[in-house]
Amino acid sequence: MYLALKEIRHEKLRYGLIISMIVLIAYLIFILTGLSFGLAGENTQAIESWNVKSIVLNKDSNVSLSQSLITDDQAKKASLSAKQAVIGSTPVVAKDKGQKKISSTFIGAKKDQFILKNLKISSGRRARDSQEVVADEKFKDEGYRLGDKIRLNSSDQQYQIVGFTKNAKLNISPIIYGSTGTWKSLRGMTNAKVTGSAIVSKTAKYDAKDTHLKTYAISYFISKLPGYSAQNTTFGFMIGFLMIISLIIIAVFLYILTMQALPIYAVLRAQGIPARTLAATITSQSLILMVSGLVIGAALTAATASIIPIGVPMSFDIPVLTWISIGLLIMGFIGSAIPAQKIATVDPVKVIGG
Amino acid sequence: MSVIELKKINKYFGKGVSKVHVLHDIDFSADRGELILVVGPSGSGKSTFLTIAGGLQTPTSGEVSVEGKQIAQLSTSQRDKLRLNQIGFVLQSYSLVPYLKVKEQFDFVNKVKRQGNLNKAELADLLKQLGIENLTNQYPGELSGGQTQRVAIARALFANPDIVLADEPTAALDSERVAEVGKLFKELAETRNKAVVVVTHDVRLMDFADKTYRIMDGKMTETNTEKMAK
Repeated sequence: MYLALKEIRHEKLRYGLIISMIVLIAYLIFILTGLSFGLAGENTQAIESWNVKSIVLNKDSNVSLSQSLITDDQAKKASLSAKQAVIGSTPVVAKDKGQKKISSTFIGAKKDQFILKNLKISSGRRARDSQEVVADEKFKDEGYRLGDKIRLNSSDQQYQIVGFTKNAKLNISPIIYGSTGTWKSLRGMTNAKVTGSAIVSKTAKYDAKDTHLKTYAISYFISKLPGYSAQNTTFGFMIGFLMIISLIIIAVFLYILTMQALPIYAVLRAQGIPARTLAATITSQSLILMVSGLVIGAALTAATASIIPIGVPMSFDIPVLTWISIGLLIMGFIGSAIPAQKIATVDPVKVIGG
Repeated sequence: MSVIELKKINKYFGKGVSKVHVLHDIDFSADRGELILVVGPSGSGKSTFLTIAGGLQTPTSGEVSVEGKQIAQLSTSQRDKLRLNQIGFVLQSYSLVPYLKVKEQFDFVNKVKRQGNLNKAELADLLKQLGIENLTNQYPGELSGGQTQRVAIARALFANPDIVLADEPTAALDSERVAEVGKLFKELAETRNKAVVVVTHDVRLMDFADKTYRIMDGKMTETNTEKMAK
C-alpha cells in the first residue's frame, strides 16, 4: 500500500488520467443503471403497487392485457375472493381544454376490490362514481389539477380528476383509474357481457376454472410487456460490456505501467523485498484507482440526478449500485492479476545481468 | 569463519552445442572489514558471480554459504529473507525507487523489515558520512550520478547487512567520484565491519581494495592489487 500510494501521489498526471477513465466508465454505468431501473419501473410501477403474484388472461390473448377479455360467465365461474380483482385495461388519450394531450392507460376496476380499495392517493380522494377518476401524478406534472374535467379519446363524456396517485404507470404510460363501466364504455362494449381484461390475484396458484383462461406468474407477464425484455437486455448488455471495458482498461494501463517499472521491481526483489509485498502494491494500486473512480463517478451521478428533468425516467437503487461498484472493484482486482503475476515472477538476474 | 564463501562454483548456460561454461571452479571468500574487488572485462562472468553470491541464481555445481548457511538449501522466501537481512545490493542503475524521496527509501525498508535496521541516529550518522544528509527530501531524479550512488549505498547499508555486493558502482562516475566511492567503500568495510564485494571493470578502484580477484573467461584468480593497477 505504501509504494502504491507514493507512486500515485508522485505520478499525479498519469494516474489522474487513469482515474478519469474509470470515473467516466463508472458514471456511464451508474447513469445507464439508473435509466434502466427508471424505465423498467415505469413499465411495472402499477403492477408492483397492486402487489399481485399472478394474472389470469384469455388464453388467446398472447399474454397481452389489451387483447384479453374476461366474460361475465367466466368471472362468475372464477369465484373471486378478496385476494382477486378484475381489471379492464385500454389505451386512451386524455385531454382537457388548454392542456397537453397525454397518452395513457385507463384501468377500470371495481370499487369493492383491492385495486381501488388499496389505491394510495397522494392528493385528493378516491373516485366515488363512474364520472370520477384518479390519475397518475404525471398529469399533475403536466399541469392538470384536481377538479379538472378530462375527455378520453373522442368521447364527449367528461371525467373529473378527483385524486392523484404516485407510481401508477404501466408499460411507460400513466394510468387513469376509473370504474369498469367506464372501461366498457371506452372499449365500446357497454352492452356486452364482459367483466374486464384480466383477473389479478395476490396468490400465485390461482385457478380461474375455465379452459379459455390461463394463469400466468406476474414475473412472466411483466417479461411479456411490449419492449420490456428487449429494453432490459439491451441495458444489461451495455452495462456488462462497460464492466468488461473497465476490466480491460485497468488491466492494460496497469500492465503498461508495470512493464515500465519492471526493472525497479526486479531490483527490489534482488534486495529481498518479498514478491507478495510487490504484488500487493499493484493490487492495492488498482483498488485505489477503482475506489477513487467509483467515488467520483458516484458523486457525479448524484449531481446529475439532482439536476435531471422530471420527465427523464431515472431511478437509483442503492443496493444495485453497491453491487455494481463491488463488480467494478472485482474487475479492478482481476485487471491487476496479470501485472501482479508479472512482478511476482520477475527475475532480478535479467535486469542486473549475469 | 568467512562471512561469505563460494566453493568450486561452476555455472553453465544453454544446452547442447550452445552450452557455455560461464564460471569454472570458482573459490572465493570474504571476511568482515574487507573490501574485495572482482575485476574483469565485459562478458567475463562477473555479474554471474555476483548474482550467485547474492543468492539470485543457483550454480550448476558447487556451494555458496553465507555465515555458514548453505544458500542452496534455502527456499525462495528464505533466500528473500537472507538478502533482506544479510546482503545489501548496490547496483549500477535502478537501485532507488524513483517515486520515493531519499528519506522514504529508508521508510520503505522499515515497513518491510521491521527489525535490525539502523536507528534514526545511526542513519543520520551514515548519511553524514556519505555527505548526503541534506538530500533527504529529494527524489532520485533530482540527484546527480554520484549522489544517487551514495544514496544507493546508504539504502543498502540501512538494513544493516553483513555483506555488501556492488555491481559496477562507478560506471557512471568521473575519476574524482570514483576515488570518493572507493574511499567510501573502504571506510564502510572498516568502520562498519562489513564484507564489501565490488564487481567492476574499473581498475581505478583497486587502490582501495584489500584483495582483488580477476575473472577472465569464467576463471577467477586472486591477484596482487598493485600489479593489477599497473
